[in-house]
Amino acid sequence: MTEILRTEGLGKRFSGLIANQNIDFSVDAGTVRCVIGPNGAGKTTFISMISGHHSASEGKIFYKGRDITHQSVIKRANVGIARKFQTPAVFEELTAYQNIELAVLGSQCLQADRHDRINEVLQLVRLTDQSAMQAQILSHGQRQWLEIGLLIAIEAELLLLDEPTAGMTVEESAATALLINMLVREHNLTAIIIEHDIQFIKDLKAPVTVLHLGQVLCEGSFDDVAANKEVREVYLGTDEGRSL
Amino acid sequence: MNMAATTSKPWAGLSNKIASETGVAGIVFMILALIPIFVPGYTTYILPQYMLFGLLAVSLAFLWGFVGILSFGQAAFFAIGAYAMGITMKTSMGINPAYVGLLVSFIIGGGIAAIVGYFLFSAGVRSTYFVLVTLALSIMTEQIAVSQSDITGGWNGMYMDRITLTFFDLGKMVLSDDMSSYYAIFILVIISYLALRYLLSVKFGKVLVGIRENEERMTALGYNVSLYKTSAFALSGAFASFAGALYGSHANFVSPSLGGILFSTEVVVWVAIGGRHSLLGALVGGIIVASISNYLSAWTPEYWQLLLGLIFITVIVFFKGGVAGAVKSLYGLWLERHKR
Amino acid sequence: MEVAASVFVDATLITLVLALAAFGLAIIYGLIGVINMGHGALLTLGAYLTWAATSSGMPFLIAVVMASVGVGFVGLLLEHFLVRHFYDRPFDSLLLTWAFFLIMTEIIKIVFGTDFRNVANPLPGAIDFGAFSVPAYRGAVSLFSLALIGASAYVYFRTSLGIKIRALIQNREMASLLGLNISLTNKLVFVTGATIAGLAGSLLCPMLSIDPYIGNVYLVRSFFVVIVGGLGQLLGGTLIGSFVIGGAETLFSLAFKQTFAQTVVFLLAILILRFRPAGLLGTK
Repeated sequence: MTEILRTEGLGKRFSGLIANQNIDFSVDAGTVRCVIGPNGAGKTTFISMISGHHSASEGKIFYKGRDITHQSVIKRANVGIARKFQTPAVFEELTAYQNIELAVLGSQCLQADRHDRINEVLQLVRLTDQSAMQAQILSHGQRQWLEIGLLIAIEAELLLLDEPTAGMTVEESAATALLINMLVREHNLTAIIIEHDIQFIKDLKAPVTVLHLGQVLCEGSFDDVAANKEVREVYLGTDEGRSL
Repeated sequence: MNMAATTSKPWAGLSNKIASETGVAGIVFMILALIPIFVPGYTTYILPQYMLFGLLAVSLAFLWGFVGILSFGQAAFFAIGAYAMGITMKTSMGINPAYVGLLVSFIIGGGIAAIVGYFLFSAGVRSTYFVLVTLALSIMTEQIAVSQSDITGGWNGMYMDRITLTFFDLGKMVLSDDMSSYYAIFILVIISYLALRYLLSVKFGKVLVGIRENEERMTALGYNVSLYKTSAFALSGAFASFAGALYGSHANFVSPSLGGILFSTEVVVWVAIGGRHSLLGALVGGIIVASISNYLSAWTPEYWQLLLGLIFITVIVFFKGGVAGAVKSLYGLWLERHKR
Repeated sequence: MEVAASVFVDATLITLVLALAAFGLAIIYGLIGVINMGHGALLTLGAYLTWAATSSGMPFLIAVVMASVGVGFVGLLLEHFLVRHFYDRPFDSLLLTWAFFLIMTEIIKIVFGTDFRNVANPLPGAIDFGAFSVPAYRGAVSLFSLALIGASAYVYFRTSLGIKIRALIQNREMASLLGLNISLTNKLVFVTGATIAGLAGSLLCPMLSIDPYIGNVYLVRSFFVVIVGGLGQLLGGTLIGSFVIGGAETLFSLAFKQTFAQTVVFLLAILILRFRPAGLLGTK
């Protein structure tokens, strides 16, 4: 098991407001890690620092052993880090096919193979029938899948997924968990997932990191974390806490 | 709406559109090819200049319609190309100065656009500021043309000759008569149009459209967006300059106002009306609106400009895709109707 | 020493005059984000209305007021029928206000003809300060510009209206949630900006020969004043921006020809724009 991502003492400050502080985090290649925490815990900011959209105020980030703390978003995307945003960032007026095509164009796929590759990805994210439909008329869940499809098509190795099941039905969430586990298992991808959907997290059967007030509160398997006294206190009174 | 399921070519709908645009383009070019035979005289003399305005419009549509970058400075490149051509043709050199002039214009226009583009895009300057910079570019070009009068002739303008075609050692031909000038320019305009069309159909063009649609997403996918934008701007500047070089030589004259903001913004009006998402729409729009403008301006300048302004507003508010867009929609509706 | 004093005075006068011309644009662009490409046309209209009024015998100051109100009214029409629908689409409002410029310029040509017009200088002569002299009218306009900005500063910093305006700049959405009537505010801001543009054109016209395009000279410069000063920095930004643009022009025109000096100033402004996109006074 080789470590693919590590942060040391990572922190982010926004003129006075401390969003993240002192985060030591590590995830191995070919695994899934869920990042959970109440609203305002700094989860999205943390992901933003890994993708490069926010610069770190302090600390370092290592990807495959190399210090990427000051690398641009573009560079990080080119070495395999790809992000799915909280509100789906797809090409609304282009068709599902055209969306995936743009990602495939940015990958190492040869021109002759592009068409097949695009259809392959569409099939993986269950959008084959929607191939000629504009992204904006897809359902919210389908748009999430489309965005995940972009990340697959770009041949990302580390997927940063920010609330991938938001707006999905129970059935869609279950399918998404299956998809992610399959990608991780068969293509050796790594996924760091911010989530609120407890059932989805359980389906993933993956270790969990809990963030609270910008710092790591606790880490472990889902059951361990759910049983943790501090975690339960922090979540006390929230819907998620009730289902823990 | 029942979309064809696993179509092996989901671009089918799009390729129909392309096929029909190619079809219309073919018709347009055939008409243009036949005009000198059927309407000789003044029309044959003046139409090449309008075709070059059309090419200028195409250079803007490429940038505005497909990358989403509005430029109020295309005329600056047009004038730069014309002046570069004039200056080069006055210089004696081993090779045909006209050929060198065309190449120089293309390179200078593209080069200036590349420098300005890279300078601004790499810093993430917002696109609204970019519009203002292009506006300033036009003003600066006009001012430089006026103030550096030793080189440019200032307000008096610069005269230049028609292009002399030389065919290695086989002989030479001065394009001094209308017919030969017409066809020479006609061919070069078509080649330019096809070149830009081609670029739009391959990866480069698709990436540009992606940038237009969602720049942030393209960045997050690892595309060097500012490099693509710079390249697009450089191409549009290069072709605008190329058109300007041909224009200067055909009209035998260039003056500072050719690069100024009034003309620059006129190009925007042509493209808005013709259709910014269609190179052919821009080409035809440029030719037609420019020629109508010139014709009516001699007659009733203010009322025509007033009407043009109103048409412009109508297009911006109701017909974003211009005439070409409206035609495509109607064609799409017609196809739907006749499918059943 | 004398030369320095005279250059400084020139720069100050030019700064204040430019600030007056740019202020209307700064208000509209800074407060409601509309790139008013018709700004120059509003200035021109102000000049022509002033000419029309003074030609028919009206005293200069009355003419100025009438012209400003007239232009403000045109601004209201423009806002109500066009701009109002495109506040969230900056490029569309840019193009529409440009279309307004095209149309207004033609209307001016049709109504007033294209010959140069002149409005007599109401304060001819110059005031001699020994080391330098100040043209009387230009000095008066500069003082007025300063007073206008000063009065605006008072409103901005010390009145409840000012607080609302500052709230609007900070966060439009929040401001509307807090009860600010956004559409009415947009109208007020646009009309105010237009009126000030008309006022500027009106006050400036005795110093120029009037033709249908005089306002355009100020269009791009005004934009650069706003960008260099900082979008949203209505007062300090306009002054600093005007000082940089106006001052640089004065300086460079000592070294280069007038037309070329402006080119150099634009290049300077583009440099500043690139390295300090938020302007000299802007934050972020």
